[in-house]
Amino acid sequence: MDLSYTAEEEAFRVELRGWLVAHIPEEWTAPGYWASLPEEQSFQQRRDWERDKALAGFAGIQWPTEYGGRGGTPGMKAIYDREMVLARAPQTVNPLGLAFLAPTVMAIGTDAQRKEIIGPMLRNEVIWCQGFSEPGAGSDLAALSCKGVRDGDDFVVNGQKVWTTNAVHGDKIFTLVRTEPGSELHKGTSMLLIDMRQPGVEARPLKQMSGASEFGEVFFTDARVPAAECLGQIGDGWRTAMLLLSFERGASGMAQYTEFRRQYDEIAAVARHLGRDRDPVIRDKLARVLVELECLRYHAMHVLTQVEQGRELGFEASMTKLQWSETFQDLWEVFDDLLGEEATLAEPVPGLELAAMHAQAMWSRSVTIWGGSSQVQRSIVAERVLGLPR
Amino acid sequence: MFFGLTDDQRDFGAAVREFLAGRFDLEAVRAVVEDPAGDGHPGALWTAMGEQGWLAVLVPEEHDGLGLALVDAQVIARELGAGVAPGPWRGTVLAAEALRLAGSGSQQQRWLPRFAAGGVVGALALRGCADDGWPAVEYAEVADVLVVVDGTGLRLLRPEEVATTRHDSFDATTRLARVTPAGSAGEPLPGGSPAVLDELAARAAVLAAADLVGLAREALTRTVAYDRDRRQFGVPVGSFQALKHSLADLHVGVTMAEHAVLYAAHALDTDPASSDTALAVAVAKAKASESALQTTAAMIQYHGGIGYTWEHEAHFFYKRAKRLAGVAGGVDVHRARVASLTLGS
Repeated sequence: MDLSYTAEEEAFRVELRGWLVAHIPEEWTAPGYWASLPEEQSFQQRRDWERDKALAGFAGIQWPTEYGGRGGTPGMKAIYDREMVLARAPQTVNPLGLAFLAPTVMAIGTDAQRKEIIGPMLRNEVIWCQGFSEPGAGSDLAALSCKGVRDGDDFVVNGQKVWTTNAVHGDKIFTLVRTEPGSELHKGTSMLLIDMRQPGVEARPLKQMSGASEFGEVFFTDARVPAAECLGQIGDGWRTAMLLLSFERGASGMAQYTEFRRQYDEIAAVARHLGRDRDPVIRDKLARVLVELECLRYHAMHVLTQVEQGRELGFEASMTKLQWSETFQDLWEVFDDLLGEEATLAEPVPGLELAAMHAQAMWSRSVTIWGGSSQVQRSIVAERVLGLPR
Repeated sequence: MFFGLTDDQRDFGAAVREFLAGRFDLEAVRAVVEDPAGDGHPGALWTAMGEQGWLAVLVPEEHDGLGLALVDAQVIARELGAGVAPGPWRGTVLAAEALRLAGSGSQQQRWLPRFAAGGVVGALALRGCADDGWPAVEYAEVADVLVVVDGTGLRLLRPEEVATTRHDSFDATTRLARVTPAGSAGEPLPGGSPAVLDELAARAAVLAAADLVGLAREALTRTVAYDRDRRQFGVPVGSFQALKHSLADLHVGVTMAEHAVLYAAHALDTDPASSDTALAVAVAKAKASESALQTTAAMIQYHGGIGYTWEHEAHFFYKRAKRLAGVAGGVDVHRARVASLTLGS
């Protein structure tokens, strides 16, 4: 066991911290600040800030410098993930691109794709969306029907995608499309990189139960995409998608722990404010969640070790997703339990402003659905890790 | 960053596992369980423990030990849990730890080499006092050296200085006895400060937690293997989603408990007095206890009727989990500690 980072990694932490302190205005770190802005302004402000951060060298931490990354270590990436949360840095506007598309491009993209995609993504010149789910293909992604028909050097795409993060801001969308007519299930699909800024693509916001619109719908009506704009082989889109989803499920446990632990402390502060922190039932519920949160932290160290040793995480990533998403949801259920008859009020007692926390509690309902629902993850763990029969 | 076991530590664990599989399997455990009048201390197993260094793991090299860390000791504890093995390993290791942390130079010189070689059996009691006695002490009847808490300090007692009364305990993989003083106060360990008592309690909790995660992992592995083969309705019962999802959750829970025990052991090795370590120990014991209780209950349930029979081994795991879940603080105790450390007391 050696839980320390190298001197070089610690030096990176100091440098990053210095930059973040100098470039995050105090008012941005106030609870509810971002939610208080008009959506468009919030997006633009974050987009610009993130570009500046990339230009300062704090983006693409683990990716090679020749593609615009920093060429750092997995340890630096873990440090970056944690420091960003500690500094209350603005949330990325390119989450799907950074977390999922980029590592997939680095793994199986052509050299030209790496050069074309990574740098502009880091500088937010291109905002990426993910086009996987459809109205008829959610957990059963292989039931997708969005189809691409070959026409010369292009595919002509028709169909609909849904639950698309940042749909209305998107410039391009990596889209799982059925490109072989008559094919079924996971065969005959391709991961096409479609330009959203064309007449054949329409994005509409989807209003969520929280009232916010992080997700949207994307409609393709004779949208065109060059056949060369395909990630992985044509017809082999399922393999590309599975690789991509493995990055999603293994998402940074260190960042999640850091953020959730702060939320735990915020919920504890509310409990104190309401005089509920002495309640043995509340204390037991909070402690139960904290046990799981600390396990998430240890698990993140385990995952980082695997990455540093060049080991494939494989289906273990499903376990990571289950641990963080279920724990996050449990945490916010305790918050709801605190409030009693005032459970739904934005200001349950004068001076205690909880709208932003209610929004988090609402959001917690989504995390066990997107990126592979908890039920799908449990089936993966049971079949692929434990070897139970299908 | 390296969070995990080294190859040497893995090999150490594999050696314990292989020894138990070959020389002290579940049939041997059953013989101990079905002989409740016996001392539960098989001589051949004890001899092997001494020969193979399992008892020397934490004893410093200057006292003929291996001078290894709690991370290494928890490797052994896990395998003993996986094998639901009887015998006074933990009591002996912890009594030696008490001497290492609190004993005088001459006490250490006298006892530590003998603990390391398996020449003497130890027992540690961190609950109780001279007036009321010390309850539920593991293998007190066969102990050559008993280290007991008394007020705010520690005392060393020899067998002739105590009386022991066997408890009737449903976990027959371990023998427990009440210890009472028999006319002598024994000798004090001069270094038995409150901080040392806290550290001993933490080390006891981590070794119990390690046994629990070892037995939980084994219970899960055995249950999965059974449910892959067992057919009902024309298919393996393990193909039913009701079982799959439950077993998946148990796998996640046991894995997290394994991480937590490893982290807590390392925390005690490197920074025993810190609040992060105190939190880690409470997390590890709470999580290990909970996972083992859930997994061993599921072991019975997902074996169906056979799992409820005496002839099946599920009850060895279930009963041992029930006992160890309470040892060195139960789930509630450790959750309360987690609450105190993160919410204020």
